[in-house]
Amino acid sequence: MTWLIVTFVNYPEIKALPFYTLSTISRIIITLLISVAWGVSFGILAATNKVASFVLTPFIDLLQSIPILGYFPMVIGFLFALGPWGIELSVIVLLFTSMAWAIFFGVLGAVRAIPTNVVESARSFGLTGWRYIRHVVLPAIAPAVVSGANLAWCDGWFFMIAAEYIQYQGNVMKPPSGGLGYLLAKTAYEYKDMNLAIILLIFITFIVVYFNTLTWHKLMERASTGTFKPVFRMDLSGVGKLGFAKATSWLRFERIHWPKAFSIVSQRLRRYTHIEKIIAVVLAFSAIFFILYVAFGQFPTFAMISEGFSQPPAEEISRLPLLIALTMGRLTVAYGISLVVAIGMGVLAAEHKKFAVVFYPLYDIGQGVPILALFPVIFLGLNQLIGIPRIALELTCITMLVLDMIWYMFLNIVSAVKNIPTEIKEVGQIFGFKGLKRITHLVIPSILPSIVTGSILSWGTGWNTIIFAEYMPSTGQVSQPLSVPGIGSLLDKAGYEYGNTVVLVFLLGIIALIVLSMEAFVWRRLLRKFEKYHVEV
Amino acid sequence: MSMLEVKNVSKTFMMEKTKILVLDNVNFSVGNDEFVCLVGPSGCGKSTMLRIIAGLEKADSGEVLFHGQPLTQPTPKISMVFQLFGLLPWKTALENVEVPLEVLGMEKEKRKHIAEEYLKMVGLEGFENTYPHDLSGGMKQRVGIARALALKPEVLLMDEPFSSLDELTAKTLRELVLDIWRNPALPTNTFIMVSHNVEEAVFMADRIIVMSPRPGKVTGEVKIDIPRPRTKHLRDPEYFRFVDEVVELLERDKTKTANESPLSLTAKRADKLK
Repeated sequence: MTWLIVTFVNYPEIKALPFYTLSTISRIIITLLISVAWGVSFGILAATNKVASFVLTPFIDLLQSIPILGYFPMVIGFLFALGPWGIELSVIVLLFTSMAWAIFFGVLGAVRAIPTNVVESARSFGLTGWRYIRHVVLPAIAPAVVSGANLAWCDGWFFMIAAEYIQYQGNVMKPPSGGLGYLLAKTAYEYKDMNLAIILLIFITFIVVYFNTLTWHKLMERASTGTFKPVFRMDLSGVGKLGFAKATSWLRFERIHWPKAFSIVSQRLRRYTHIEKIIAVVLAFSAIFFILYVAFGQFPTFAMISEGFSQPPAEEISRLPLLIALTMGRLTVAYGISLVVAIGMGVLAAEHKKFAVVFYPLYDIGQGVPILALFPVIFLGLNQLIGIPRIALELTCITMLVLDMIWYMFLNIVSAVKNIPTEIKEVGQIFGFKGLKRITHLVIPSILPSIVTGSILSWGTGWNTIIFAEYMPSTGQVSQPLSVPGIGSLLDKAGYEYGNTVVLVFLLGIIALIVLSMEAFVWRRLLRKFEKYHVEV
Repeated sequence: MSMLEVKNVSKTFMMEKTKILVLDNVNFSVGNDEFVCLVGPSGCGKSTMLRIIAGLEKADSGEVLFHGQPLTQPTPKISMVFQLFGLLPWKTALENVEVPLEVLGMEKEKRKHIAEEYLKMVGLEGFENTYPHDLSGGMKQRVGIARALALKPEVLLMDEPFSSLDELTAKTLRELVLDIWRNPALPTNTFIMVSHNVEEAVFMADRIIVMSPRPGKVTGEVKIDIPRPRTKHLRDPEYFRFVDEVVELLERDKTKTANESPLSLTAKRADKLK
């Protein structure tokens, strides 16, 4: 208790905690509402209108494969000119870029999944236009919207710390109404007070988990009743009586989360026609030119682009293959660790109640903790332990990636193990599969498709995190920014240190290219190969 | 002594906090070389009964005796064919048959030889390296049968093995199963099949055990003594007499429990018109 008080009284900002909490929550709620409105309207549009689908889907897919944290400095540039409201607005824009996609792809998948017989019967009864949307489409997408919004909500908290603590040309832009993310980042980066940072982290985690288990839980329950898939009726003995483990397991593992995650990925991995690809690329280029236009105040000319490539940190571009290899190496190591640990945890949690009681809440907390905020905490801890900042930062980077990547794998694996058809399990019993034989012959093969799905999601989030994780900004006591060599840290240098928009856009393009080619050459192939493993029921 | 004896077996399931009596004191026995069919409407617990014999489920009370010994867990001497085939999609036809043998610890060459032999017996020569995904429903069930037989069990359990196949395929497979049953070279000659198709049961079984739902119990037994092969007798009045007898057992029970299915409603209306 004294520890709490001593930690608290040193900082004047702490008085603002209730206000900061309120402003962060309202900020996320506002962004959530915007994201839902955008996701629902554009999702329905893309799913029902051929032209819109042609233009929108591949473009949004392309946008989404660019790591969200990479957008930062670009968006900031022109919004800051608008004054304090500009900062507020830019925070919301940044949050929006991390929250909107899950809802859009969820809605798209849900509208496309409306059974033909329902569509045909609605048409035959003369339901068209708005009435068709009201009576058929909206009820059909409700579960997808709710679970997509829940995912967006979690993502919002995750990125809030980065969104509320914007660095612009060496200065920190404080949002006028403050925020928890701002406070946490300031505590961690400037004051380097780990006690307070941990208290704040626990506080934020508590808020996220509280909303997850109570509010979202009820919303999902209500939304799941109108679906086409048979949804089991839930025993309404009162949410208040639910244990924490039970509530989290209900929310994440027994219900709608699973088909949603899957449908988002399958929507994303749709094959595009050549025309669609061309339209997407044209749109992407126009977006890039627009951003450069805003950044320089005039239309980008060839001279301007070549000037960008002649200024620092452009000289490092010659080392690009090495940097990409280093970053990919980090991601691969982190992915390998996540994969092994998540399979172990997931299979145990799905098959044994006593592990589930431990792992489910762990998952919910792990999802809720803004991992970006852990960065300085882990780094300072490891640095004290090892003493060599470079190695400490390297380890911090991989630790953060693991903490970030593991949960998508875990979620997908648990759901997949739970969804192994009864008949396959009975075959295992009849023919005497036990122990390791059962795992290798039966469990692992049947969850392979979900492992691929989980891998796609975790690589996506991994690319986001690495941009942050390879670079320790120079604020407070640390005068020099610390970084490990990689494409992520190069991007940060271009953005934060030199403000070189041309190099930044170029690097973003490279990353998008890597992400897209991994989807095309690795994941799509694996998914097609494992499609056959699906058990027809 | 009969090979398999079901003694006073009862079983309840919990559904939404209410107990449902699925099996209520079920008794019957199956002799060596016998082909027995459990027939009843859906929900009468016939599949549950089969799963208790297989060792997949445990009875709440009562027991199943196999050669006089109580059965508590799955044994290689009792094998099973599944309604939805239960093939592992990530293994080829041959590997699917091999896997149970591998679990028994048989060496690679030997189990491959046996698996090939059994696939040939069910008419799947040339499809050894095909994955289930690329096999038709009938072929999948052939693999399922080969897999179950490759263990050389004494008893073969079949859970509605033909109900997810089209009628023509089902007809061919029924004859295949009967051929296997009659084949003296195979050690497997006691068959227990669950079905809701009365004509199928009369065509195949030596004896039909009729079950009724809620609670699931045995309401009658019909011994079918049509000479085999029965393909020749499918138009005989005797055949239809047996079908009628089984249907009557099923129907009698239906009126007793006042099952308000549309079909029984029409029957009632027809009664009134008389």
